[in-house]
Amino acid sequence: MGKRIAGIFWSLLFLAVPVLGVATFAVAPAYDHWLPKDVSEHGASIDSLFYFILALTGVVFIATEVLLFWFMWKYDASQQKGAATYIHGSHTLEVVWTIIPAATLLFLAIYQMNAWADVKMRRPAMAPTVEVVARQFEWRLRYPGRDGTLGTADDLFLVNDLHLPIDEDVLIQLKSMDVLHSFFLPNVRIKQDAVPGMKIPVWFKAREAGEFDIVCAELCGWGHYKMKGRITLEPRASFDAWLEQKYAEQQATQPAPEAPGDLAKSE
Amino acid sequence: MNRQLAFAAVVLACVAGCGKTPPAQFRLNMVQATKTSAPDSELKTSWSNWSRERQAQVATILEAMFGTPDEPVALKESGLDEAKLRLAAGPVRSDIVGRKNGLYREHCVHCHGISGDGMGPTAAFLNPYPRDYRPGKFKFKSTWRDAKPTHADLVKVLHEGVAGTSMPSFALLSTAQVDALAEYVRYLSIRGETEAALFGYAEQELGSGDQLPTTREFLVDEILTPIVEKWQAAEEAQIPIAALPAGVNFDLPGSDPANRESVARGRALFLGDGGCVKCHGVTGLGDGQANDYDDWNKSIVEVTKEVVGSLEASRTAETSGMSAEKLAEHRARAEWLHAFAGVLEGDALRPRTIPPRNLRLGAYRGGRRPLDLYRRLYTGINGAPMPGVGPSGPGGKGSVADAEIWHIVNYIRSLPYDFDGELGADRPMVAKDRF
Repeated sequence: MGKRIAGIFWSLLFLAVPVLGVATFAVAPAYDHWLPKDVSEHGASIDSLFYFILALTGVVFIATEVLLFWFMWKYDASQQKGAATYIHGSHTLEVVWTIIPAATLLFLAIYQMNAWADVKMRRPAMAPTVEVVARQFEWRLRYPGRDGTLGTADDLFLVNDLHLPIDEDVLIQLKSMDVLHSFFLPNVRIKQDAVPGMKIPVWFKAREAGEFDIVCAELCGWGHYKMKGRITLEPRASFDAWLEQKYAEQQATQPAPEAPGDLAKSE
Repeated sequence: MNRQLAFAAVVLACVAGCGKTPPAQFRLNMVQATKTSAPDSELKTSWSNWSRERQAQVATILEAMFGTPDEPVALKESGLDEAKLRLAAGPVRSDIVGRKNGLYREHCVHCHGISGDGMGPTAAFLNPYPRDYRPGKFKFKSTWRDAKPTHADLVKVLHEGVAGTSMPSFALLSTAQVDALAEYVRYLSIRGETEAALFGYAEQELGSGDQLPTTREFLVDEILTPIVEKWQAAEEAQIPIAALPAGVNFDLPGSDPANRESVARGRALFLGDGGCVKCHGVTGLGDGQANDYDDWNKSIVEVTKEVVGSLEASRTAETSGMSAEKLAEHRARAEWLHAFAGVLEGDALRPRTIPPRNLRLGAYRGGRRPLDLYRRLYTGINGAPMPGVGPSGPGGKGSVADAEIWHIVNYIRSLPYDFDGELGADRPMVAKDRF
């Protein structure tokens, strides 16, 4: 009798995996644990790919887990009287479950090509809007200034507080000063590793204004957790005004009337 | 069934954790504690017992005056804001209002250490080392060289970080949080300076066997108040900023014809009266003298040299003819030197030299605004070998007139972008070509 209980325990434990797994996904959006708000032009194609793959793998996941439960339940050793038979396997089955995933993967590889090219290959022909240099543990920013060229005397230097215009292409030149980092803008559906020694172009077009997080998505050391920045997407006019204001601050020759506390917002 | 129970027990143990961490404690400045407790002829017990007693006494006094890392205390006379300290101190946690506490341990401690000694677990890997707050010396500030930084100065460093070092920017923390952290840095400094004053007093005034006085008059009026007064005087100790002389225009690049005269004047001062060339080199590459130390490292270098020398002398000393009294003194001294060598090995980071800045990199530790460079030039950098070209105090006279400093600022700002052939074949890469 005790053995039967053990069999039931283990098979139900295995059944709990698909049940809890599906339940987690079902309630996650209600608790705001779903994809962050997308404000980019290309994000929709990435999200639809995500949902498509989620559905595909979801079906396979549930089928596999239920089958696992069913085998444990049905073929519980304590309930089996006869001797077990050993078979070599099924050649047909092997071929089928090799070809179906292979065909699916091939389909995905072709189906996603356009989305990939949009984000990683079709770079807009323009000078960088800003240079982002990742560093343990901050994002150092350099804007080209009025002459539009990086590396000249009117460059604007800032840290962690990235502003970019909406409704137009922006090109970011991504570099790293020390180790691998990953420049992740969840709300713009951009994630790109920053590699020491490389200048990597990153581009997007934002549709909506707002303030969002910049995070580091590659464990880069002790202080990885504090590598959080802020991206402010705003219309061109206010972006330009902000650039002018920051540049004026950088050119200061007399102390400002108040302490430099304008960046900080109360929590 | 037993196996299932064991499985459940393992899961529970993993979730609950295995034990409580002991409460955080401040560490004494062992280098200083040992340095100031050289044995004298009056020493009756063994040196190690006596020095341990003195250290325990200082630790007790400090705890009474400043509390612990979890429970900081701000005496009224310290001028510190206890509410701010509580926000920064203690383990990382949220209180009832959902406000984040323990900011120092969240953001600072792994480099600057629980006692603000600049010896957190990651410190040894950094160059330059993180700041040791205990001597109360700060580099990037708006005040006279020997004065303390203002609150705004500390906030600025937290906001912008220190470019070219491992100090990152905390620009996205709220004003209240940055204020609390700046206050906590002040607290660690005042605490460290008080500790230094106590050990210094003991060395100067007390013989072996004497105890430090513990009266309020002594601890607060004689030790704490002079330290706090310097901090409170910071706001009034800001250096004057001269008006821009004609011909200096920072909105134009340094190479602009309109600026050429000013840049040339700046260059002449850089090579001449300013004396910058001695360390930063003719090219501004920072290739002048490069084997000097900053004050923090220098104190370790000097004391190490002394201890090693004395230890050698003590080892080779002829002891056979000594009287019993002399021999006891000799032994106590040897014990002290051995302990000192151990402390230098274990409680201090290996000294690093501080090379002069390469001015063609365009990385400015104390800020890149013309105003920041003016302040660096005017007072020099406190704690570093960099001297100021302005007067050393109000009413004094510097090696360069106040308004003329702007020309040097102009020249320095042109260096990262300027390569007009003056440097020959080995000219440095300009910022545009450099990775």
